[in-house]
Amino acid sequence: MNMKDSQGMDTLISRFVLDSAMALDREDFDHWLDCFADDGRYVVMPRENRAQGYDLALMYCDTKPVLQDRISVLRHASKFNPHYDRHIISASLVRGMEAGIATVETNFLVVQTTLTGVSNLFCAGGYEDRIRVQDGKARLVERIVLLDSFSVPNCLAIPL
Amino acid sequence: MSISIGAQDWPHKDYSRVPFRLYHDEALYQREQKNVFRGPVWSVLGLEAEIPKPGDYRLTHVGEESVVYVRDAQGEIRAFVNRCAHRGAEVVRFPAGNAEDFTCIYHAWNYSLAGDLQGVPFRRGANGKGGMPASFDIKQHGLLKLRVTVWNGVIFGSFSGDAEPIEAYLGPLMRDHVGELLSRPIKILGYQRQRVKANWKLYHENIRDAYHGSLLHEFNRTFGMSRLTQVAGGHMDSQHRHSILFQYAGSDSDEEARKAYAENGVQSGNYMTLNDYAMATHTKENPRGISTRIISVFPNAFFHQIYNSLAMRKIRPLGHGEFELVWTLFGYADDDEAMTRHRINQANMVGPAGLISMEDGEALEMVQRSTAPRQDISGVVEMGGVGAIRDLDTRAQEVTIRGFWAYYSRLMGLEREGAER
Repeated sequence: MNMKDSQGMDTLISRFVLDSAMALDREDFDHWLDCFADDGRYVVMPRENRAQGYDLALMYCDTKPVLQDRISVLRHASKFNPHYDRHIISASLVRGMEAGIATVETNFLVVQTTLTGVSNLFCAGGYEDRIRVQDGKARLVERIVLLDSFSVPNCLAIPL
Repeated sequence: MSISIGAQDWPHKDYSRVPFRLYHDEALYQREQKNVFRGPVWSVLGLEAEIPKPGDYRLTHVGEESVVYVRDAQGEIRAFVNRCAHRGAEVVRFPAGNAEDFTCIYHAWNYSLAGDLQGVPFRRGANGKGGMPASFDIKQHGLLKLRVTVWNGVIFGSFSGDAEPIEAYLGPLMRDHVGELLSRPIKILGYQRQRVKANWKLYHENIRDAYHGSLLHEFNRTFGMSRLTQVAGGHMDSQHRHSILFQYAGSDSDEEARKAYAENGVQSGNYMTLNDYAMATHTKENPRGISTRIISVFPNAFFHQIYNSLAMRKIRPLGHGEFELVWTLFGYADDDEAMTRHRINQANMVGPAGLISMEDGEALEMVQRSTAPRQDISGVVEMGGVGAIRDLDTRAQEVTIRGFWAYYSRLMGLEREGAER
């Protein structure tokens, strides 16, 4: 890839990561699910478990159908603190590209705001993404959310 | 600051009214640290499987006290308060690790794995000046030790010489059910944590609240993991300080359950479905076939079996209005890879993002907020009947909550004369 192609790829991936996070802020879960490839997986990993070599997660969706189930339960059954989310996303760093799949890291903060208009920092963490780029379209093959703020205030209902 | 509630403030002698003041009184909270957490009880510190090798240690809390539990060079489990005997600094600063000894960073006082003081820099002074007085006895300045006892791989600690031997403290009901969950060597799968802005006793009530399990937690009701229409119950030890809620999934049909809930105005519309039912699938592991049991071991620990999800939860109060809950999920050492994956998949149901547990944090925060302005009034606990505190074989009850308050009141000097026990 020449410099221009590489910049184009960085831009495409950064916009895709931002778009996937902002879909959650709009509670547009269909669009968020569409950001995942059919073989995509999604895991929210507490940083203490990563540090100690444990696989246990807070959300562990090993297949896309299981990820769809997580969203169905959220829509139909879960009860949680009503709030607005805002993802604050860093620029994405493309670490490498192999066989059409980019390895990408992005830092994030999520600010939660109550329906009475009070904002608090909810969590800090990083996306560790594997993103397949095909025909100019990006899709998540894997998103590991490394959660620094693993002592979760109240509950974690909406994915990060 | 004096406590704003006394024994006479219980409106009823059977604890069927719970004064909201109990969730908010700061002086009461301070007395709880002394009478409950430093009282004649055994608190769960952790699990032996967390610290398998000599020198392995972890931090935990007993009430508000930071406590270290560690395996010493001889393989014995020790526990001590994480506060330097010199100026009170935290000695251990990392949540887990392996050490040969512990050195406080402030003045480099050094302690053995057992918590004994073994080094005081410049104890004899420098250049012939200063130093500790000759009367300073290094043996008198160790870290504050807890009594430790290990039962079935569970490490218990106590600040009190008055706690009964652990077998008697647990009683036959806890020995039976916790014992069964720990009847094979376990392996740790990892941790989940959450902080809830509510009084710690609200979580004890929630854990003993059989009634809410399928009303608040719709996932339970939808997929038949816990329903009021099933064979189930809530039992307590003889002193009502520990409890178990248990459940047999499959003992009702979806049809009869849905009819019963619709008749009670809970849900009459369509029930959702899943793509993948592995999460809601129980591979039977215990001879009784119990599908779910939620166990409370007074004062700080809870054990659960929810299908094949196994965990020990510890509660850490953070002032009267907040607590942290630490979930230690485990499997068995001889689990094959498929069972380990199944347990990790079923961990989706528990913890702060749990499909059947995320609601509890929100429910308790709502209670904490809305009871604050009217601490002179009480909540109602009458499901399952009033009067005697007893075991019931149904989940349409809250009697186990009254049992908690009966034992708590005895420890706290808040028992009204002639009260139910």
